[in-house]
Amino acid sequence: MEEHSKLENVGRDDEINRRSFLKWSAAVGGTAAIASQLSFGFVPANTNRAAEPGKWVFSACWHNCGGRCANYAQVQDGVVVRQKTDDTHPDSPDYPQQRGCARGRSQRHQVLGVDRLKYPMKRAHWAPGGGDKELRGVDDWVRISWDEALDIIASETRRIIDTYGNKAILTPRLSPSRILNALGGAMQSWGVSSAGAWPQPSALMAGNLNLSAPDRMTYRKANLIVLWGSDPAWSSAGDPTYNYQQARNAGAKFVFVGPLHSNSVQTLADEWIPVRPGTDAALLLGMAYHMIDNDLQDQDFLDTYTLGFDADHMLEGTDPEENLKDYVLGTYDGVPKTPEWASEICGTHPRTIRQFAEEIARTRPTIFIGGAAPARTQNGQQFVQAFLTVGWMTGNVGFDGAAVCNNYHSSASYGGPSLVKPGGSGLESLGNPLFPRGGSGYAFAYPEDTDFYAVAYEEMWDAILNKEFTATVRGKQPCDIRMIWTVTHGSGGNALNQVAGIMKGIEAYRSVEFVVSSDIVLSTRSKYADVVLPDTTPWEDEAGGFLTGNPEVLFFYSQVISPLYEAKDCGYWFERELARRMGLDPDAIYSSTPQQQTFNQLAGASVIKEDGSGYEPLLTITADDIAAMGVEGKPQGGRISLSEFKEKGVYQVERKPGDSFIHTPGVAFRQDPEANPLSTASGKLEIHCQALSDKIAAYGFNTIPPIAQYNPPIEGYQATFEDWDNKVKGEYPFQLVTLHYMRRSHSVFDNITQLRKAFPEGVWMNPADAEPLGISHGDTVQVSSQHGTVIRPVIVTTRTTPGVVILGEGAWFEYDENLGADKAGATNTLCGTHPTGQGEEPWNTTIVRVDTWDGPALEADYTWPQRVPIKE
Amino acid sequence: MAKQYAFYFDANSCIDCKACQVACQDKNDLPGGVIWRKVIEYGGGDWVMQDNVMVPNGIFTYALSTSCMHCQDPICVHVCPSGAMTKREDGIVLVDEDLCLGCRYCEWACPYGAPAYRPELGVMSKCTFCEDLLAAGENPACVDACVTRALDYGELSELQAKYGDLAEMAPLPDAKLTSPSFVLTSYRASQATGSRVGKIIDLAEEF
Repeated sequence: MEEHSKLENVGRDDEINRRSFLKWSAAVGGTAAIASQLSFGFVPANTNRAAEPGKWVFSACWHNCGGRCANYAQVQDGVVVRQKTDDTHPDSPDYPQQRGCARGRSQRHQVLGVDRLKYPMKRAHWAPGGGDKELRGVDDWVRISWDEALDIIASETRRIIDTYGNKAILTPRLSPSRILNALGGAMQSWGVSSAGAWPQPSALMAGNLNLSAPDRMTYRKANLIVLWGSDPAWSSAGDPTYNYQQARNAGAKFVFVGPLHSNSVQTLADEWIPVRPGTDAALLLGMAYHMIDNDLQDQDFLDTYTLGFDADHMLEGTDPEENLKDYVLGTYDGVPKTPEWASEICGTHPRTIRQFAEEIARTRPTIFIGGAAPARTQNGQQFVQAFLTVGWMTGNVGFDGAAVCNNYHSSASYGGPSLVKPGGSGLESLGNPLFPRGGSGYAFAYPEDTDFYAVAYEEMWDAILNKEFTATVRGKQPCDIRMIWTVTHGSGGNALNQVAGIMKGIEAYRSVEFVVSSDIVLSTRSKYADVVLPDTTPWEDEAGGFLTGNPEVLFFYSQVISPLYEAKDCGYWFERELARRMGLDPDAIYSSTPQQQTFNQLAGASVIKEDGSGYEPLLTITADDIAAMGVEGKPQGGRISLSEFKEKGVYQVERKPGDSFIHTPGVAFRQDPEANPLSTASGKLEIHCQALSDKIAAYGFNTIPPIAQYNPPIEGYQATFEDWDNKVKGEYPFQLVTLHYMRRSHSVFDNITQLRKAFPEGVWMNPADAEPLGISHGDTVQVSSQHGTVIRPVIVTTRTTPGVVILGEGAWFEYDENLGADKAGATNTLCGTHPTGQGEEPWNTTIVRVDTWDGPALEADYTWPQRVPIKE
Repeated sequence: MAKQYAFYFDANSCIDCKACQVACQDKNDLPGGVIWRKVIEYGGGDWVMQDNVMVPNGIFTYALSTSCMHCQDPICVHVCPSGAMTKREDGIVLVDEDLCLGCRYCEWACPYGAPAYRPELGVMSKCTFCEDLLAAGENPACVDACVTRALDYGELSELQAKYGDLAEMAPLPDAKLTSPSFVLTSYRASQATGSRVGKIIDLAEEF
């Protein structure tokens, strides 16, 4: 309560006055919680290969963070003492440095923290077959040798394959390790996470204008840039927001649409249009109505380049009544999709809907960017269909400064092909026999196949518990999963934390016979495992490697420190050791070393020619270079020397306005659509897309119409009411939006104290919602859904839309048995599994309630202890 | 030599990403809970009912990255009982951790909350303007870190000639208190010091 009143005081005083600061410091700085990230007296096991004392080494920043930036580590006596970001050339808007974010700048704490996994471990109460499986997640850990770990894994894997078959091994959200594929494969998972429902509509409706955006310089030519459901400031770290600021400075007007007045809105937007999660399609249809009603659409463009807009322009064989215009006008369903109709659903004022429709119809050139967040909703296809339709109605396609696109993650503000890229590794593919055309499973595009055995992300835990899964066109098929394998070289793959339904996921984890994981720290996927292997990080990889992000830059990281303690590469090294124990030839798993693979990528690295007419080799490689790397290869000439590239770690193509690297999507199609058809069924942009409707049906979860419509999503806005007509709220009156939060890259970095200090993982709530509940800024509150409960501090702010509650995704699930809740605020405790569409994960359609919390207030996250499983 | 080193901040660019805060912690090897630079998110506005629809009314937010202001009239120096807190000829204010008693009086006095107590050491610590980097011809860590290039630094009079002499906005205190060596470019929705239109959106534990 004392904490509460201090914050109230601060909230009312607009100044940081002396007394407030003292109180804050006393409460916060004076407590015992100087967390353990002080020391780097952490001595690596073998310093022989460390860089020269005091030397700056380009160090990997390898995360799925929405960016990719330059990070250097300064190494003294084998220990990293400091980091810095890009300073390889003077910084300018045209030729910007690739500056890293708070997360990358905390990388050394992740690599060298006291919580780094040092030894293989097994659960104290594990035995073959699982032992006491209920203790998964809460058991003690016992240090074991690598020999014992490998023997356990070999024996359990062999036993499970022999007893139940390869289909009994699940690799959630990961490609199986090559050795599993060599042993006969495993049950992989498939679906779409970041991109939501974008891939299939974009491919089938837009063909080779799929996800296409203009190059960075061309953004400055737009008069209007719309970012719909997009927050580059926090979702695409690095340069994108700086790039957008150049477009702002050049005179582009920015309009943002979304539930949150985000930091992107604050720096870029001329206007912010609020909308409820999962209702964007309704808003778009209301805009379409206004355009049609006032004849504002670009009819010539629609007639020439699209199909399905009206009854006169339908693909042969389709029902002419299924056209978009008549749906919007309500010709057949009797419901005109007026701005008033839309407003009741989406919460945007009808006047705003009309004004916005006018604006996009009348402004050229416009870049109309659809984000992924509105597509990460149940029935998310309808957003993409509506977004592309309305964008095409404005005709902003195929000329300078215009685009209708999805432009996000590390490519935000950067359209066009890669200007510099690595070569191939030369490692032959070793695919999963159970999933021949699956690839990694991400955006799996072949639901018509009948020869595969793989489960949708949203169905994995149910598949384990209910012993059946949706095998797309074959419908429900039986399955019997006995083992979970999350061994891989690299971060992420934290499926138990990052897929909806954590409570159910834990039940699933506790039901199988064997769970094995690799990790660098004890993240959720390892906390609930039986055997955990300590992985090396890319900072310890002897061969170094490549990283890519935006199209203008290529990174090469070198080894920074020797592998720590007993950490080993849980790809190459582990799999070859396991192969030996399982009667396989290690060379059949990896026929070439990491050094050779890296060399092949270096030799094949290419950069665009100055005149943009093609690519040329990037690197000059000498015979001495090849001998020094201990690999096979031939000397070659290129633009820069290998040693210069390795030392700098960055090659960035220098750009100037008017250079040869301009990219405008759709120009050829616009100039001559007959000669340059798109790869859609009709060759045109398909507002009515039967192929899409058929494709979604094939996935086996639900069906969608071939045109944009609004159909209320499961756990969408309508679901917050028990009586929609009279607007009586039900048990879960609020909608949850899961935010990309700068504390982490999804779940990676959650254990870093200085990031917890910077980003406290508060739940954001509008005072219109908080005040009637007696909730004040800084209180601890309970947020619950049909699927679970979390406890968090609350930030009461008008920057979020009434009715919408916002929480950063990726916090490490931390269940407290006494409280009956997750006190970390993992959003997947709240989000339920809803297999849907093309396998996208509909986090942004989740309904919740918020209640005051009578239990003990939470300690600030940055005071929580690290997870150190083996104490010494 | 500079007469008064100063920071510059552009409120139109800052996105509250805290790269500056963390870069400073990294460069100075600070514990995770101790910060010498902070980023504050400030905002206001409300929602009103129009035709049965809640509409945003003047919603604004902006961020402010702030560290020690190396004030021209540093109250921390005036109140320090041990002489640990001093101001150099180039204007940089430093605390000598060997002389510091840990009484925290400077922390109480500073209107910007700059001095940071180190519980594990029992003394105060604060932004040094990266004076070691300056001596080596390099820039302060925070300035080089900023991903939207919102920070700059230099001789105060030169910054003022280039950017003007605005040195305060809500939630900062009145610049007349300690004459901060600071210049800022305001954001279109920047609230004047003393305004009660908005409030700090962060949780107290962030500072």
